[in-house]
Amino acid sequence: MDSRGLAVETEHLTKFYGRTLGLSDLSFAVGSGEVRGLLGQNGSGKSTLLKSLLGLIHPTSGLVRVLGLDVQKFPMEIRRSVGYVPESPRLYEFLTATEYLDFIADVRGLSYAEKKERIGRLIQALDLEGKQGDTISGYSQGMKQKVALMGSILHRPRVLLLDEPLNGLDPKSARVVKELVHSLAHEGVTTVFSTHILEIAEAICDRLTILQNGRVLAEGTAQELREKAGLPGSGLEDVFLKLTGTKGVEDIVEALMR
Amino acid sequence: MRARVLLKFAKILMISRLRGTRRSFVTNSITARPVIIALIGIGLFVFGLGLGWVTISVLTSSSTDATAVAQIVFTIFGGIPIFLIGFFFSMGLLWELNASTESETTDAINWLPITPSEYVLASTLSTSYTYSPLVAVVLGYALPIGFLTGNGDAFVLLVGISLVATLIGSVGVEILRSMLARASSAFSRIGGNAMVAMRILGVVLVLVFTQALFSGFLVVRIISTLVGDIAATVAVPVFWPTLSITSLLGSDLLSSAIYSLLSLGFFFVLTYIALFLRARFWITAPPSLHFSSSGSLSGISKLRWLGLSSLSVALLRRELRSATRRKEVVRLMAIPLILPVMVLFPVVFSPAPSSTTTPPVAVNPILLAGPLLFGVGLGALFLGITSIGQEGGRLWNIGSLPVGARMIAKSKILFTSIIAMIGLVLGLALAVLVFHLVILDAFVFSGLGLTVVLAESSLGIAVGSRYADFSEGPRPRFVTIAGSIIGSILGIIIMGLMSVAFVVTLLLTFRLGLSLPSILTPLPLFATAFLGLIFSRISYVISIRPIETILGEIPN
Repeated sequence: MDSRGLAVETEHLTKFYGRTLGLSDLSFAVGSGEVRGLLGQNGSGKSTLLKSLLGLIHPTSGLVRVLGLDVQKFPMEIRRSVGYVPESPRLYEFLTATEYLDFIADVRGLSYAEKKERIGRLIQALDLEGKQGDTISGYSQGMKQKVALMGSILHRPRVLLLDEPLNGLDPKSARVVKELVHSLAHEGVTTVFSTHILEIAEAICDRLTILQNGRVLAEGTAQELREKAGLPGSGLEDVFLKLTGTKGVEDIVEALMR
Repeated sequence: MRARVLLKFAKILMISRLRGTRRSFVTNSITARPVIIALIGIGLFVFGLGLGWVTISVLTSSSTDATAVAQIVFTIFGGIPIFLIGFFFSMGLLWELNASTESETTDAINWLPITPSEYVLASTLSTSYTYSPLVAVVLGYALPIGFLTGNGDAFVLLVGISLVATLIGSVGVEILRSMLARASSAFSRIGGNAMVAMRILGVVLVLVFTQALFSGFLVVRIISTLVGDIAATVAVPVFWPTLSITSLLGSDLLSSAIYSLLSLGFFFVLTYIALFLRARFWITAPPSLHFSSSGSLSGISKLRWLGLSSLSVALLRRELRSATRRKEVVRLMAIPLILPVMVLFPVVFSPAPSSTTTPPVAVNPILLAGPLLFGVGLGALFLGITSIGQEGGRLWNIGSLPVGARMIAKSKILFTSIIAMIGLVLGLALAVLVFHLVILDAFVFSGLGLTVVLAESSLGIAVGSRYADFSEGPRPRFVTIAGSIIGSILGIIIMGLMSVAFVVTLLLTFRLGLSLPSILTPLPLFATAFLGLIFSRISYVISIRPIETILGEIPN
């Protein structure tokens, strides 16, 4: 663990996809055991940032440290300690849920007894009982999301990177995930969580980071962001729209309804 | 039936087929202006015309007698309709086998208001038009042969019958497609590994049949049967178009008219069946495969006794499940199984011996080893070359796990080698049964084959990781065109280098009459095996860097 108590840290992180800017000189830090929400419009750099934290993409410049280790220098060590769910998880559809989790468990070095206990418990908790013997190809989007989530926490990660983890989940499962993130935080697991659902972000995140055009636009607790936007007592949606400079929503709706 | 919708939809299906296969300057131009296919057809017609003119010039200028010329015309004209049926059926079938299940379930036809009959007819038209340049080239070839041998009337009939044959082949695929959807959903409900095994067997048989058809031996055998015993074939509808032509060539006008009408009738019956099956059996999304109600976890694998780590076993198990359950991957896995079998086609489809008392001819084991090992090596190469790209959008799974590039390369080489070795053993078993190959020789070949397989698998992974194509369309290809070409050339060069020791030994023995001392007889064998292991090691080392690059920059 980093001496400053930081689980995740980026310094002047820049990423270009060809000529397209993904992240621009982004510096960002998340403390150990913190639940950090990433907010931003489509294309603001949330997914790119999460991928950079795991070393799934190579930064054009800058530094990424997770648990005190440079991601580019120690990719295997980072991957052992981190769990990740991408925005639209493409799983191995030709495997059953049990086979998929069994594969993840074997690669992560879990013992037979350990994997049996944990896979059984996760399948029960996320309501996949009776379906776990079918290939994933026939699952709904929400069921696939559940399997991806299970795979990300199977090995008890120290850092959890979740990109829109509630996509397609039914209300009960969404609630389970929210509670799970809380419980993991109590155990010291750091979670970086990207979402478009602002109520959820406010409910489960200790702090929020708003990204725009690959940069950090604002950072703080929900209350701090309200004050920064000059909208005390307002909903987080209004705060987000004001900070990101989104204007003329009514005009757009009117044009669509014409 | 809305004619406008039908034609529009046929065009969309054709564009989707061409763009899903290969994105290149040619396909982009064709799909932008489908009329280009017709222009290509015209060009090929002219080319065929020239080829046919050369053929008939050679035949008439040489001392070939009239009976022999008539026989050749009979074979060419009679072969065209059955070849066209087989070609159009096979092309549609291969498309069906290669299509990605995931893109099929999101296909627009599943949610647009298009009736089953509109779909069947549009798809039939699309298949026929997409591959129509082949019809143009064969008709161009037949034109001078027909008119310069006094068979102009047969050529005119051949034009119409070729069209019918084309449509029969295309609509046949529609029947098969609906039946496969029905069978697939039934098998999926039954589930289990037995179903997976049956599907692999089905794919292998379909590919063997297709390859047999294109090898030419089967067509020649069919024509020989027609010439020898027409009575036995009149009851088989796919022969009717051919019989209408051969009857006319035999000056039997009545039979020709009957077979022509029967051919047309056969097409209409097939169309009716295709419409019925599409309406009855088509399902938008096939049910998922069911394996067990509770799901079972893997215990300690027996492969660990061979020294494999649990991580290697987990990766290998996943590779095997991918290869046996993904339709678009099953056909790749079938390649190393089929190639050795194809080597035996000339024997299987050669005309039956006149006397059953003739003992089977013993084959020189070295002459047999060449094509057999070449087939297996090529199969291993193609399977290896596609194994990285087939990860597609699922690459993040491995990228986010603590699996290094070396482990990935090893598991892919191991998997490819296992499958290719199954193909080799299968080929050798057939060689023992058909060619009476000595079992000891078969064992020696399998040892040698292992080194060929290792060299070609490793090369495949090295090239496949450098030229991986992760795009997922209706027909994923897994490796770039440049990668396919470079891999094929390198694969052949490596096999060529590995065979140098044998070639030198053969030259010394048969040309110069020299023979190695008995103690040195196994020398070429060991030299080849040693080279194979060296190539394998070099390719493995080369593959690490590109895999690391891929893992460090997961494609979007």
